[in-house]
Amino acid sequence: MFGTENISKAFGGAIALSDVSFSIEPGDIHCLAGENGSGKSTLIKIMSGVETADSGSILLNGQKFRSLSPREAVAHGVQVIFQDFSLIPNLTVAENIALSTDVSEKRKFVNPKRNRQIAANALERMGVDIDLDATVQSIPVSSKQLVAIARALNQGVKILFMDEATTALTRKEIDHLFGIVNGLRDRGVATVFVSHKLDEVQEIAQRITILRNGSVTAEGDIKDFDRKSIALAMTGQEVNEVRLAPEVPANAPTVLQVDSISSPGRFRDISFSVKAGEVVGITGLLGSGRSEIAEALFGMTSIESGTVSVNGTPITLKGPRSAVAAGIGYVPQDRLTQGLFLHQPILKNVLAAAIERFVGPLGFVRGKSIRETVTAWIADLKIKTTNPQNPATSLSGGNQQRVVLAKWLAMTPSVLILNGPTVGVDIGSKRDILEIIRQKALDGMAVVIVSDDIPEIVQIANRVLIIHQGETGAEFDGAEIQEASLYKELAA
Amino acid sequence: MSYITPVSKRKGLQLFGSPNELFLIAAIVVLSLVIGLNNSVFFSIATPFDLLRSSLIEILFALGLLIVLVSGGIDISFPIVGIFAGYTTVVIMLRFELDTYSLIIPLVLAAIVGAILGSVNALLIAGFGLPTLIATLGTAGMFRGFLLSYVGSVYIANIPLGLDQFSTADLLSVETSAGTLARLHVLVIPILILAIALAWMMRRTMFGRTIFAIGGNEESARRMGMNVRWTKARIYMLVGALSGVAGILYISLQRKADPYDLAGTELEIIAAVVLGGASIMGGYGTVTGTILGVLLINLIKDNLILLGVPGSWQRAAVGLMLLIGVIAQAIADKRRLKQTVTVAEEDSE
Amino acid sequence: MKDITQNMVKNLLSDRKLTQLVIVAVIVFATFSILVPELFLTSRNFVSMAFQIPEIALLALGVMLAMLTAGIDLSVVSMSNLAALSTAYLLVTQVTEGGGNVYVWIVITLAIGIFVGLVAGLANGLIIAGIGVTPILATLATLTLYNGIAVGVRNGQSIIGLPEEFVAIGNSSLWGIPMPMVILLVAGAGVAIFINKTGLGMQSILVGANQDAARYSGISVKKVLIMTYTLSGGLSALAGLIIASRSASANPDYGSSYVLLAIVIVVLGGVNPYGGFGTVTGVILATAVLQMVASGFNALRFSQFFYQLAQGFVLVAVMVLNVYVDKRRMAAKIKKAPKES
Repeated sequence: MFGTENISKAFGGAIALSDVSFSIEPGDIHCLAGENGSGKSTLIKIMSGVETADSGSILLNGQKFRSLSPREAVAHGVQVIFQDFSLIPNLTVAENIALSTDVSEKRKFVNPKRNRQIAANALERMGVDIDLDATVQSIPVSSKQLVAIARALNQGVKILFMDEATTALTRKEIDHLFGIVNGLRDRGVATVFVSHKLDEVQEIAQRITILRNGSVTAEGDIKDFDRKSIALAMTGQEVNEVRLAPEVPANAPTVLQVDSISSPGRFRDISFSVKAGEVVGITGLLGSGRSEIAEALFGMTSIESGTVSVNGTPITLKGPRSAVAAGIGYVPQDRLTQGLFLHQPILKNVLAAAIERFVGPLGFVRGKSIRETVTAWIADLKIKTTNPQNPATSLSGGNQQRVVLAKWLAMTPSVLILNGPTVGVDIGSKRDILEIIRQKALDGMAVVIVSDDIPEIVQIANRVLIIHQGETGAEFDGAEIQEASLYKELAA
Repeated sequence: MSYITPVSKRKGLQLFGSPNELFLIAAIVVLSLVIGLNNSVFFSIATPFDLLRSSLIEILFALGLLIVLVSGGIDISFPIVGIFAGYTTVVIMLRFELDTYSLIIPLVLAAIVGAILGSVNALLIAGFGLPTLIATLGTAGMFRGFLLSYVGSVYIANIPLGLDQFSTADLLSVETSAGTLARLHVLVIPILILAIALAWMMRRTMFGRTIFAIGGNEESARRMGMNVRWTKARIYMLVGALSGVAGILYISLQRKADPYDLAGTELEIIAAVVLGGASIMGGYGTVTGTILGVLLINLIKDNLILLGVPGSWQRAAVGLMLLIGVIAQAIADKRRLKQTVTVAEEDSE
Repeated sequence: MKDITQNMVKNLLSDRKLTQLVIVAVIVFATFSILVPELFLTSRNFVSMAFQIPEIALLALGVMLAMLTAGIDLSVVSMSNLAALSTAYLLVTQVTEGGGNVYVWIVITLAIGIFVGLVAGLANGLIIAGIGVTPILATLATLTLYNGIAVGVRNGQSIIGLPEEFVAIGNSSLWGIPMPMVILLVAGAGVAIFINKTGLGMQSILVGANQDAARYSGISVKKVLIMTYTLSGGLSALAGLIIASRSASANPDYGSSYVLLAIVIVVLGGVNPYGGFGTVTGVILATAVLQMVASGFNALRFSQFFYQLAQGFVLVAVMVLNVYVDKRRMAAKIKKAPKES
């Protein structure tokens, strides 16, 4: 039996976990669900010994522990696979799997043959075949994940935490992964899936524990829950799914025209168009190419063939600057590393893309107009801050995302592409951000939203395009856009 | 149920070490031919012997630097550590009138002093987590300043006899057609052995694999349970000891202890190690490549004259080689990053 | 003008690092004044310091610009020597030996000297931004190469016998302020204006803060980096020309220990080696502090080697302190009230 009993943890004044208890038996598959900031990461860290709880105890193998060191946790069979898999890119598959054994056995010398054998055994137990001598950085993402699991198996894992395991996988790879997890189950390994992708998890997990703001808000058998009740427990609010899609005037001009664009290895023959005031949603499982299409339209990756036109003029997309020059703005997927300058003042963040617009002939920046413009945008987007000179880290996720939005709106783009705009954003801000998007569309902007959040797409899009293995799949228009049909199409 | 994962198609390029080393060997051969054709004096047994003699100490320093580079760091204090340890050893031996004929004593002393200095680096880098360039820039200043202020700033010509005699300890001496003596110094053997030992250490001990792991992804290494901090500390202490030994051997071969020596040579050695294939990002590098890098640079340096290039251009030549080396490295690193396969290419529907 | 000084004072007081630096400056000043007042507290000493500060401060400003973009420029000294040699060579051949019009040639050769620096810096920028070599290795290579070129073209020899008119520039004063100091203040103001008030300057801070986000914001990282290193080259050249003028000679190996000094100054001056933060005021103030230390040591008859020891120690100590201060600030932040939402 594994789990926690009444775990509480606070960081300074902020409460991360409050009286959290959950349990899992060997061979069970459990889902740990919660939004960002719900405390699930802290819980995992406490169970793996990286953090110490303020009170409560951890249960491993039926034994109670007040606190753990990382080494003890591993010794008792706790393994965590983070989203980055924690592999060593320049070492081989065999070494990545077997070295941890050498470490735990406190070996001084390395026997390559033995390591290869150990690795081969672990992979065989999983029914998987990966080149043992390949360096980890040269194998595909799904293989890396399998190597990480093999490593965990090799270390005698008894309870395996998988953090957002399906994020980087194609449908086929997800199926395969679930097959492996079921195999683990037969070995008596308990698996905890940390995820907010409820539909996928419902396929595989039996029980679910939902956290919100550090407390357990619901738990039980998965079959007793549906998407709505899970969402309610995760967010504490009835998800208000009133459609926000803007009304598009009949004679609206086509702003963005994409014709048969292809990027080998990423997507093939993609065509669609967006009118002024229209919101087009592009969705598909990750690995389907949806994100790559967005990035390509912003010039981040190259388009080998096909044409892209903005307002009737064909454009060459070579690097973000060409996209910006053509009137395209992009709110990237990873807000923290790609969208924001965390330690820089909010003001500079909002200004980041538009600096060149405020530059005079000699290269000098017009200070007064900057301040006015930025203040206006902060007000327009209702960014809550006491001082625009505060660093961006002082803002909550929702406000940070508004800053990224403001950055692009300040450029008055013709086309705004957003990739996962409400990931990690609290429910109130989520709605506000969608409202902002709606408003800007009504003002004439063409919007493309790339997202895996189906409810969000249903709320805001006029048309939806499904991307499947790099190619366009079904298209939905207006009233056709229903959650059920979208899910069905995605799973096909 | 079996699922075949496609093998990386670019397997050949993975072993970047090998193609790089082949390239270096080719470069050495071609260059030798060019120099020799220009001036046949080059084709004498004295050439490789002299080349080795002038390269041996640098190889020792370079091997230490290699280890640091593989771990993802950089160290520019090692020549200073070398001369500090060597000079101090000589001073101690003379002061306390230690056995002048012994070789063991100075070697051990120098290694100890070097290790102590290395542990200062270890404390700053492993202990406090300071960025390696700035930390070693600081310690280089401290060590040099300390050496010249407190240990001594005098040129010592009368080094202990044992060390002095060692400089002429030759393995082979052959009379050349020109009538001079071509000498292969005995140091070739121990350094060769040391190189083999280090290569073995990097590949076959946990210490070595941990170094590669830290260079590849420090956080992952930590999560695997590797003791990153302690390994880093050991790295810098080891490099300190190696540098110390190199320093005392340098003094021996030069037959003098000049505390102003060796400062500034770090650039050349970095050039050699980078040319040899080590990446500054860490995680890559071989002993063979490093040695070849040193040989190549010295080959050019020592024989510029034979190519008609005046000695005053030596430094520019080294700079150019360093530049070529780092550019080649950058291009190779870029290519390596692109190797990652994002979509399983052979995945059939 | 008032606005600028007001801003400077505001920055001095609000920026914690700068305030600390001011305190350090005061302490250092007081220490040496007490220990060796007869040598330290003389106008001769202050004037001498005022003459020596500018050259090293300019080099430090070059390093600072590179650090703002999360890079580093180790080749500043080599670039400055190369520039100095170019100017000196032309001056000597054209004026002293050629007998041309001094003032015309001074202007021309100064321009050429600066141009040499800019080109060297541009090369750095192209290698770093164009090819993608990391700044440490790139500038380590160019430092050797430029030094090598400087040594090679002159066979390792210095150039002496520069015309008096040229020498006068570096050794004269304008309204009581030494010329080099005037040049520094103008250049320093220029750099500060560049960072705070020009588009490229603001962009370089963002590039240093987060290069990825900068790219995603449509900033041309290449352009910014190339510009940064070119400017560093220009500043280095300026430093070299001042050195040549003051010492009436140009030497390919001058100031080899200045690289360490420049980095100590930059770190002490509050520039973040990881990019995104730094002020001109801090750098100049830090230069002054170190110059006081140098002259104080000199007065106390400490050797130059001890000065080098002190530099290394200060560099290491400041960085260790930064680590601790950051750790405590992190802990304090976590203790504060939850984020604004």
